Amino acid sequence: MFIKNTWYVACSLADLNALGDKPLGRTICNEKMAFFRGPDGKVAAVEDFCPHRGAPLSLGKVCKGHLQCGYHGLEMGVDGKTVQMPGQRVRGFPAIKAFAVVERYGFVWVWPGDQAKADESQMPVFEFFDNPAWAYGGGLYHVQADYRLMIDNLMDLTHETYVHATSIGQPEIDETPCETKVEGDQVILQRHMQGIQAPPFWQMAMSANGLDPQAKVDRWQICRFTPPSHVMIDVGVALAGKGGFDAAPEHKAYSVVVDFITPETETSHWYHWGMARQFKPDDAELTDKIRAGQGGIFNEDMEMLQLQQANISQWPDRKLLMLNIDSGGVQSRRIIDRLLAKELAPELPTTPATGIPA
Amino acid sequence: MSTEDLTQTPLAADGSFEVHLAQRGETYRVPADQSILKVLSDAGVDVPFACEQGVCGTCLTQVVAGKPDHWDMFLTSEEQEANNQMLICCSRSQTARLVLDL
Repeated sequence: MFIKNTWYVACSLADLNALGDKPLGRTICNEKMAFFRGPDGKVAAVEDFCPHRGAPLSLGKVCKGHLQCGYHGLEMGVDGKTVQMPGQRVRGFPAIKAFAVVERYGFVWVWPGDQAKADESQMPVFEFFDNPAWAYGGGLYHVQADYRLMIDNLMDLTHETYVHATSIGQPEIDETPCETKVEGDQVILQRHMQGIQAPPFWQMAMSANGLDPQAKVDRWQICRFTPPSHVMIDVGVALAGKGGFDAAPEHKAYSVVVDFITPETETSHWYHWGMARQFKPDDAELTDKIRAGQGGIFNEDMEMLQLQQANISQWPDRKLLMLNIDSGGVQSRRIIDRLLAKELAPELPTTPATGIPA
Repeated sequence: MSTEDLTQTPLAADGSFEVHLAQRGETYRVPADQSILKVLSDAGVDVPFACEQGVCGTCLTQVVAGKPDHWDMFLTSEEQEANNQMLICCSRSQTARLVLDL
């Protein structure tokens, strides 16, 4: 069960563009979709199902803004209506579903639920995209695990000490308590460490930003969950005693870990991860270096989550522990459950209010 | 025997009508719950068909007399109004008798 009346990242524009005249087939919230550029050059999404014989349209190619089925050449339009097909009169062909799409921030966003409710004004806003003061680099992992396990992972950075021991992990994370709060639909979990040695990844970032990598630092992690499944994490280090998160830019190396987590099925998801930073935004080489480092770190999470999912799938009835370090994930899941209940509510049968026993 | 022209007479109240095949000289009754195509197929009349839902046009048949009740999505509204052809997989009759070029 997923919140479906919302915007999810479907793919990066770069990944779609790299396919040339091929469409992109992708399952999102159990909906099979084919993404392609229509006659006006705008990205469109239709059901990945040819109305003729059920072939996946994503196996075809894009011809003049129509998606041509790779089986018998039926040409599908951006609205889910067949445009033409060799030797056929197509006016009565049944339409397939078309999904609302928005191109923004370098991604294609899709609304997998009720299309009548698709609302561009509900798109999330991020200051660091399309902003010359910031640089962004990221990647995509296809993770064979429930998307909520990724939310749990990102809303609990205690795991860094163990999963990422050689890059961003350090014992001080364990030793510093974290604080969780809920503000409306947002969950904020934060941890501030004082006067510590920076771990390897942050030493690299300090060097890149002209700071002494061996200097003592104050380090912070501020994780923010917003529905349906976006997690933005303020992370960084500042020279000790300069104000931590609030230190002046010349005293710190600071960035935002960007996580767009898109459910594919109940036990798999598309994970668009990245990092937005304000230091040296024009340094493309640094962007690549950070992307490589982050990709390696997040691969460690992926390995853990996939084996965790395999365990959970094998023992679906085993109850898991929720500890104090898990409160960020617990609160995030509560928000998802609440919004899901709200989305499903109109479909539920209404309870008779008569009070007369049946 | 009535001399009334059934191709000009409205459909019977029970929704049934008769189909006369002009080339073969055969007549069949089409009950309300069966299609023309089904009645002809069951009688061994070989008529081409494919989708059986008024989309593909495979069963397009010329109408000699009577007035079809068009239910297909294949013909344009202009073609339907001409009443000289029909899809026998789903379309029915407005008159008690249809004469088809079969």
